[in-house]
Amino acid sequence: MYVAVKGGEQAIARSLELLAEARRGDTAVPELELKQIREQLRLGVARVMQEGSLYDEELAALAMRQAAGDMLEAIFLLRAYRTTLPRFGYTQPLNTSAMRVRRRVSGTFKDIPGGQVLGPTYDYTQRLLDFETTSPVEVSLADAPLPSNVPRVLDLLDAEALIERIEPGSDPEPIDLTREPLTFPADRATRLQNLSRGDEGFLLGMAYSTQRGYAESHPFAGEIRMGEVDVVVCPEELGFAIEIGSITLTECQMINQFHGGNGVPPQFTRGYGLCMGEGERKAMSMALVDRALRCDELAESSYAPAQNQEFVLSHSDSVEASGFVQHLKLPHYVDFQAELSLLRTLAAQHAAHLQTPPSASPQEDGKAGPDAACSQEPDPTPTLPCAQGREQFEAVKT
Amino acid sequence: MMLSAFANPVFDSQRNFRELLQAMARPAAPRELPVLPPSPAPIAPAAMAILLTLCDATTSVWLQQPQPTAVDHLRFHAGLKLAERPEDADFALITDPTSMPPLDAFARGDLRYPDRSASVIVQVAGFGASHGAGKFSGPGIRDVETLAIEGLPHGFWQQRAELASQLPLGVDLYFVAAHQVVGLPRTTRWLEG
Amino acid sequence: MTYNFAFLDEDTKRMLRRALLKAVAIPGYQVPFGSREMPLPYGWGTGGIQVTAALLGPDDVLKVIDQGADDTTNAVNIRRFFARVAGVATTEHTVDATIIQTRHRIPETSLREDQVLVFQVPEPEPLRTLEPREAETRTLHALADYGLMHVKLYEDIAQYGHIATSYDYPVLVDGRYLTSPSPIPKFDNPKLHQSPALMLFGAGREKRLYAIPPYTEVESLAFDDHPFEIQRWEHQCELCGSGESYLDEVIVDDRGTRMFVCSDTDFCGQRRPEARA
Repeated sequence: MYVAVKGGEQAIARSLELLAEARRGDTAVPELELKQIREQLRLGVARVMQEGSLYDEELAALAMRQAAGDMLEAIFLLRAYRTTLPRFGYTQPLNTSAMRVRRRVSGTFKDIPGGQVLGPTYDYTQRLLDFETTSPVEVSLADAPLPSNVPRVLDLLDAEALIERIEPGSDPEPIDLTREPLTFPADRATRLQNLSRGDEGFLLGMAYSTQRGYAESHPFAGEIRMGEVDVVVCPEELGFAIEIGSITLTECQMINQFHGGNGVPPQFTRGYGLCMGEGERKAMSMALVDRALRCDELAESSYAPAQNQEFVLSHSDSVEASGFVQHLKLPHYVDFQAELSLLRTLAAQHAAHLQTPPSASPQEDGKAGPDAACSQEPDPTPTLPCAQGREQFEAVKT
Repeated sequence: MMLSAFANPVFDSQRNFRELLQAMARPAAPRELPVLPPSPAPIAPAAMAILLTLCDATTSVWLQQPQPTAVDHLRFHAGLKLAERPEDADFALITDPTSMPPLDAFARGDLRYPDRSASVIVQVAGFGASHGAGKFSGPGIRDVETLAIEGLPHGFWQQRAELASQLPLGVDLYFVAAHQVVGLPRTTRWLEG
Repeated sequence: MTYNFAFLDEDTKRMLRRALLKAVAIPGYQVPFGSREMPLPYGWGTGGIQVTAALLGPDDVLKVIDQGADDTTNAVNIRRFFARVAGVATTEHTVDATIIQTRHRIPETSLREDQVLVFQVPEPEPLRTLEPREAETRTLHALADYGLMHVKLYEDIAQYGHIATSYDYPVLVDGRYLTSPSPIPKFDNPKLHQSPALMLFGAGREKRLYAIPPYTEVESLAFDDHPFEIQRWEHQCELCGSGESYLDEVIVDDRGTRMFVCSDTDFCGQRRPEARA
């Protein structure tokens, strides 16, 4: 006799045990320590912090270990923790001009004040697997320290009035996307917030599409810089600013061509990318997508996916996307049953239709076959009600 | 000395919220608010219970009579922002209905976002079922609900009926008296007085 | 560290509560809210979980169902979550519950005025599959312009002789807002109309809440000459003999033999002879 499946609770408990065992692997091998992950997988840690929207290397490392290296799962773990944290206040805007750069390159000028600083980069490695155990490296010191305040390349163009000027302080107070829902149209500050915690793979694909003719935006890497920036808060009760620490950031400013229009002279325009930790690929992708999303503001024709803000912003978040794609493995048998019944009725109708002469009324076609679990009677074509109200709405609006 | 707020903020606001939810879902039917906190004049404890349950630093509240002790109390316990003008308020508190601003002074939302509209708490004299009772119908009301709300200004119901012609725009009302609350969402129709 | 009662912090609960009250005041309208990441994935009931967390108190008795059943893994997991973070009593019996969180079904047992039904909603926008742009669907709701949906249903009939929507069948709430009843089978749609219980809908990933207040007009879209009809079975439940409940089809052997059983496991269990004995 059939017995309805029971024991979900037990099955879950067993599954959790198996997961814990699989995560740990061979217990003869020492468990990873968080400091090993922090020190030796720092780019992974940076990505988890970025997309997890929480600057905490220790927790990001913990999440990576708990997620067995599944970055999206680690990001999700960090987000779910972050959401429970009380909010004490907001920092002042970070001043990336005062970044203590460890890397800073520009694709636009051969030499720039402060120089091209390669810093730690995979760019010039030869991608050969290194089978030797890595031995400690002696780092040679530069003849002179880097200047403490490296000017931004785009400010040099700004002096010539060849690049669009964005007045400091002209932005309205941004909304906090982690507390308020995204609504459309979204302003640039909101879009950048969304992109900054967006999935790197998604942004990379979107950015790539803009280079292949889907929203051609003629980009030049004006400047990419990575280094440490001070974080400053100004508590209301104190009335003065205090520095609470520093974080690593990667910033990318793209320079894009613009032919002018709407009374604006021909000039370069900007695309901006910023992310926590070392994340050059992410920051560059973000800058390209940011520029593509400015199409309306710059009166450019909008036809490509990367220019469509609803499309980009609604699908950039890996926690949302991963959850919804994977929810399909949940039981759907109630809905599937509903579809099955409908389809059987339609199939029976179709079969009957093939056998009956065309003069037969659809009323007779609709008899469900003997196998149909449930039946629904079809009727002839219905009367369509009219859409209503647009005039009324316009009237209310004015 | 500053009065205290909810003795147990987590559970007191949860219990009050459940009654407020039912009050909004079943309009024109008085419900008991289970936990009334101390409240400085002119704010009635029932109105204070609603404010502490629903408002915080992210909501702006307009007080019809912003007495300094009441303002300090709300700032201290709820951290809320006071709105200068009725139209800027998420919540408004009417402590003297006879001199209240017209209902269309409050935000009614816009057609894309009708939820961006005010919730107005009105301290009234009391609720009755017989003398001067109005009849109400609409979502949440099975057939017809009969209720007298005492102490409202002359012409209040006509004003509200005019507002109803703008649905789904509108304001949502909470009337309080003693320990009772009556919800009147924008969709409730006033049939007769 | 310890989490707050029912996991969410009080600021978040207040935000949810304000949104829920607006949702009740504007029946069927989708209120945007600051949905939070939950410890369960988006698409797995985070909207319903947030609504339940905003409602829940120590005196509540919680029932969680998925596909009508209390013992499906995700329902078990959500129930476990609330037992852990709120310590509330849970039940599998519809009549004993004060809050019922559900995915894809409305219980067969009639609900009461003192119960609240919380729906998990994957896609709150009934027009989404016809018009993916939020900015546009919001305008259509503002105008109450539901021509798109009428055309879709009309084309179904022209093509198939039927409205080819068997679940998540759109409804008009209080004569104003076109609303998704969540992916319940259309069999359950009549239970939305003039329900004694308040019904709340949470879409976490899409960051929308909406409500159908009790005793509210809820009309499943149809045409005068094509009235709304619910699924009917030629079978009865093979466990309890019910001829009125929604049935799941189960394949019981390699030859594809089918049997039909109630999807609502509590309803079925209460009706079975061994339960009555």
